[in-house]
Amino acid sequence: MAKQYEIPIGAQHISLLEPLHFKFTTENEKIVNTEANVFYVHRGIEQACVTKFKFRQVSFVVGRVCGLCSISHSTAYSQVAEKLLKIDIPIRAKYLRMLVIELDRIHSHLLCLSHVAENSGFEALFMKTMQYREFSMELLEAVCGNRIQYDFAIVGGVSRDLKPEVGQTILKRLKTFMPQLEEIVDIFKTNWTLSLKNKGAGIINKEMVYRLNAVGPFARAAGVPIDVRNETEDLLPWKEVGFEVVTETSGDVYARNLVRLKELYVSIRIIENIINGLPESALITETKAFPEGEATVRLEAPRGELFYYAKGNKTQVLERLKIKAPTFSNVAAMRAAFEGNEYASAPAIIASYDPCLSCTAR
Amino acid sequence: MKLASYRKKSPWILHYNAGGCNGCDIEILACLGPKYDIERFGMINTGNPKQSDILLVTGPVTKRSRERLVEIYAQMPEPKVVISCGACASTGGVFRGMYNCEGGIDQYIPVDVYVCGCGTRPEQIIDGVVQALGILEKKTKELEESVRLKKEAVNEGKQLNRRNIADEIKPLLS
Ligand code: SF4
Repeated sequence: MAKQYEIPIGAQHISLLEPLHFKFTTENEKIVNTEANVFYVHRGIEQACVTKFKFRQVSFVVGRVCGLCSISHSTAYSQVAEKLLKIDIPIRAKYLRMLVIELDRIHSHLLCLSHVAENSGFEALFMKTMQYREFSMELLEAVCGNRIQYDFAIVGGVSRDLKPEVGQTILKRLKTFMPQLEEIVDIFKTNWTLSLKNKGAGIINKEMVYRLNAVGPFARAAGVPIDVRNETEDLLPWKEVGFEVVTETSGDVYARNLVRLKELYVSIRIIENIINGLPESALITETKAFPEGEATVRLEAPRGELFYYAKGNKTQVLERLKIKAPTFSNVAAMRAAFEGNEYASAPAIIASYDPCLSCTAR
Repeated sequence: MKLASYRKKSPWILHYNAGGCNGCDIEILACLGPKYDIERFGMINTGNPKQSDILLVTGPVTKRSRERLVEIYAQMPEPKVVISCGACASTGGVFRGMYNCEGGIDQYIPVDVYVCGCGTRPEQIIDGVVQALGILEKKTKELEESVRLKKEAVNEGKQLNRRNIADEIKPLLS
């Protein structure tokens, strides 16, 4: 047996946005075992949500669980609270929520793609993707008023209306984005140097996805069509606005890139459909009720299935709130996918998981 | 070589997330991107505390990242400047009072520049970094000054230096 070395990555590392610790056991530069340590940023949000904050304030707090998918968190919480209050929200609010979720997905996916490019050593592509990503941040700012923490979804509806001229701007910017997206797709698909780092790295297959409970683009890249948008219709009408699942088959970093890129096309189509067919109605349902009973909600965040459970007891403060973030489900599969890869490709593989530790640790 | 003048022009940045929500971190990343492009000021993001001049910290300090934060700070060479990015790094923000949070990095390491906002805008971050440059320069001066002061405290009249010794022993040798 060859000599084994242990190589740590993290908790502070240039290729990691967040504190995340991996300990690789390597043998002849091949990774044979991985230990993941993800709970550096546990803050205790769940507990604070049921003691410090009233249930209407919680939608702003859970937005701070994660800055990348804050709209997914606040929407999922709002939905679960609406289930407890037993109210239905106006149709326009539903559409606007979907609009912001999809805009958020564009920025999150582009960030992840740029990160993969950077960690594979392709700095120019990183810069290019970051440049093209800025338009989504500007649009989000135009729609919600802030670049990252949107505070858009509140219990009962949404906090802002979409002005018609902002809608037109979005359509215009999406049109200019289309050729840029095609350019990136072309590079990710055909660049030979990038393919050396990405093709065949971090493979996960179908059976592993089922066994290890992977979700999101991670699972879809292996050919498993899991997408909450495809499964639930009751809360947000995804099918109505033209959603469809995209999958790839090979399950490596390359396939994950492609899934994300294809999802961008889907997102763009959804956004265009929403703006063109935005129904008129009120923005918020007022109610004086208090949350009662138990409810669960699932929502497709950029990284996969987000799950919320809440329990109310007819007071201002909830009794229990449970958040299960997509990366939390993916950790086991993440560890498995490292096995047998070169240590040198580890940063690219980590980036392609698109891990979100602040979601995981809450 | 005038190291100080180079450092003034191109400070290197170290970024550490001490438990924030990623919001401010992606804005720091956006600063590195082409639109805001802080590399035009000569700043680059390094992963090595031993080569950095400016520490950008985001997030309320969680109990587990506390030791790492102090460790990273201690590893950075003087002169160094700490910028706290975002409401939660400056005061704790929404996370203030949660059971695993400490509420602000200034309880553990000295902070020079506070950047407000949840999340901070890239313009604000750049502004904070530019302010930090001024502070870095001041700190460098202070550091050099104290060395000079120590040297001048020695009374040269009573001090034997090598030339004096040579002068003294010259007659003995001849
Ligand atoms: S200040 Fe706000 S956006 Fe920034 S890390 Fe803290 S919670 Fe996130």
